[in-house]
Amino acid sequence: MAPRVPYLSFWPHAIVFICIGGLSPKVFSEGANEVNVATPSVLNIKDLLSRVDNDRELVSELFFIFKSVFPSHLQRLSDAVAKELPNQVEAESHTLKGMLLNLSAARAAAIAADLENMGREKRITGVSEVFTEFQSEAETLLLQMESVEFQQ
Amino acid sequence: MKILIADDDPISRRLLEKTLQRAGYDVVAVQNGMAAAEHLCKQDGPRLALLDWEMPELDGPAVCREVRKKKDLGYVYMILLTSKGLKTDIVTGLGSGADDYLTKPFDSGELKARLRTGQRILHLEGRLVEARENMRFKATHDSLTSLFNRGVIVELLGREISRSRRERVPTAILLCDVDNFKPINDSHGHLVGDEVLQEAARRLLLSVRSYDYVGRYGGEEFLIILNNCDPASAPRRAEEIRRSLSDTPVQTSIGPLLVTMSMGVHQTANWGARTVEELLHQVDLAMYAAKAAGRNRISFTKPENSSDADHRVPSEAEQSLR
Repeated sequence: MAPRVPYLSFWPHAIVFICIGGLSPKVFSEGANEVNVATPSVLNIKDLLSRVDNDRELVSELFFIFKSVFPSHLQRLSDAVAKELPNQVEAESHTLKGMLLNLSAARAAAIAADLENMGREKRITGVSEVFTEFQSEAETLLLQMESVEFQQ
Repeated sequence: MKILIADDDPISRRLLEKTLQRAGYDVVAVQNGMAAAEHLCKQDGPRLALLDWEMPELDGPAVCREVRKKKDLGYVYMILLTSKGLKTDIVTGLGSGADDYLTKPFDSGELKARLRTGQRILHLEGRLVEARENMRFKATHDSLTSLFNRGVIVELLGREISRSRRERVPTAILLCDVDNFKPINDSHGHLVGDEVLQEAARRLLLSVRSYDYVGRYGGEEFLIILNNCDPASAPRRAEEIRRSLSDTPVQTSIGPLLVTMSMGVHQTANWGARTVEELLHQVDLAMYAAKAAGRNRISFTKPENSSDADHRVPSEAEQSLR
């Protein structure tokens, strides 16, 4: 049986920042005193905004799309890992890597790239561990996305 | 400018769509390679495309190969956009017919710059095609009247006779000569003579169907080919064409001039073994017979053998029409 996708259980605990006046300054801050915000490398908002000409509405829309499609992709990846299907591991990881790169989520994208390579090279040993790492990173990423609020 | 985006990743697709709309492009977004190929292979489809590599049904390189197979299409500038970044991937992508290659995540400035490069290439291609078409037109058309020139109209006649022989359908050949053209030139000058020829050409073109052919055969001679021309209607058609010039004076820079033409007509579906040159000679003789009979009239060719007689126009029409 495929492992359950645990990131969903985090949603009730997600911390939502209500920001007035646009993007939360906490997101931009790299200071040690800022809490509940993942490290910048998880989701590089500055980089993302610069790539979309500072269009915050578009970033919100992209996050919404990601949150809509991510669970099904993660579930398919999870199934592929559980069933030890390297071709599917490669294909799903590749798709997720593309999405994550577009969202400036470099760390999650790097782990997805590792999974993709393992799938391409038909390396099954260790793939579960890397997948677990990916899940953990994805949870952090989703939390950070939740924390980013834009003025409507 | 219209641009196609093909990407199965909704984030990438939306990101590209918004970025390119903001840059002033008219964006067509699709989710798979098959739809991309369909759009790009349309005659009026986008000429600029951003293609993801991994897509359902048909991947990016396969889309490039499909588009490059279509030789009758205008050039399509295609950029592969993917998270594949190995040298071998780049070589494979460009080898499939892509013009450029960008890795995800794209930088909007770089993307727009590369698209501008694509537009420059397309603009250059457009100018080359336009120049080629202008040259083709000049090589096949008469510069004064814009009708087919002699070489082309004679070639078309050869083709039409072959078709007529093969399908046993009648075709009419009309050789028209503007009457008293030399006196017009001598009295009013060559510019007025040119105006007369231009107007005569315009009226001849207006008096035939879209699938008939009209060409300038010589100085003041025009050759007309009426395809699928019913034997009974050939004299009437020829008369309408003659009258298209004679009924209304030609407006020139020195005022209106009454201009007429004499016409030789040959019409049959049974061509025998005669060559195009022989047929033209016959029509030429008929045209000179119309001149000799007083001009501004039509003369039909004489039958050469009995088999031709079946497709002849009625005997009264064989006489000069006025």
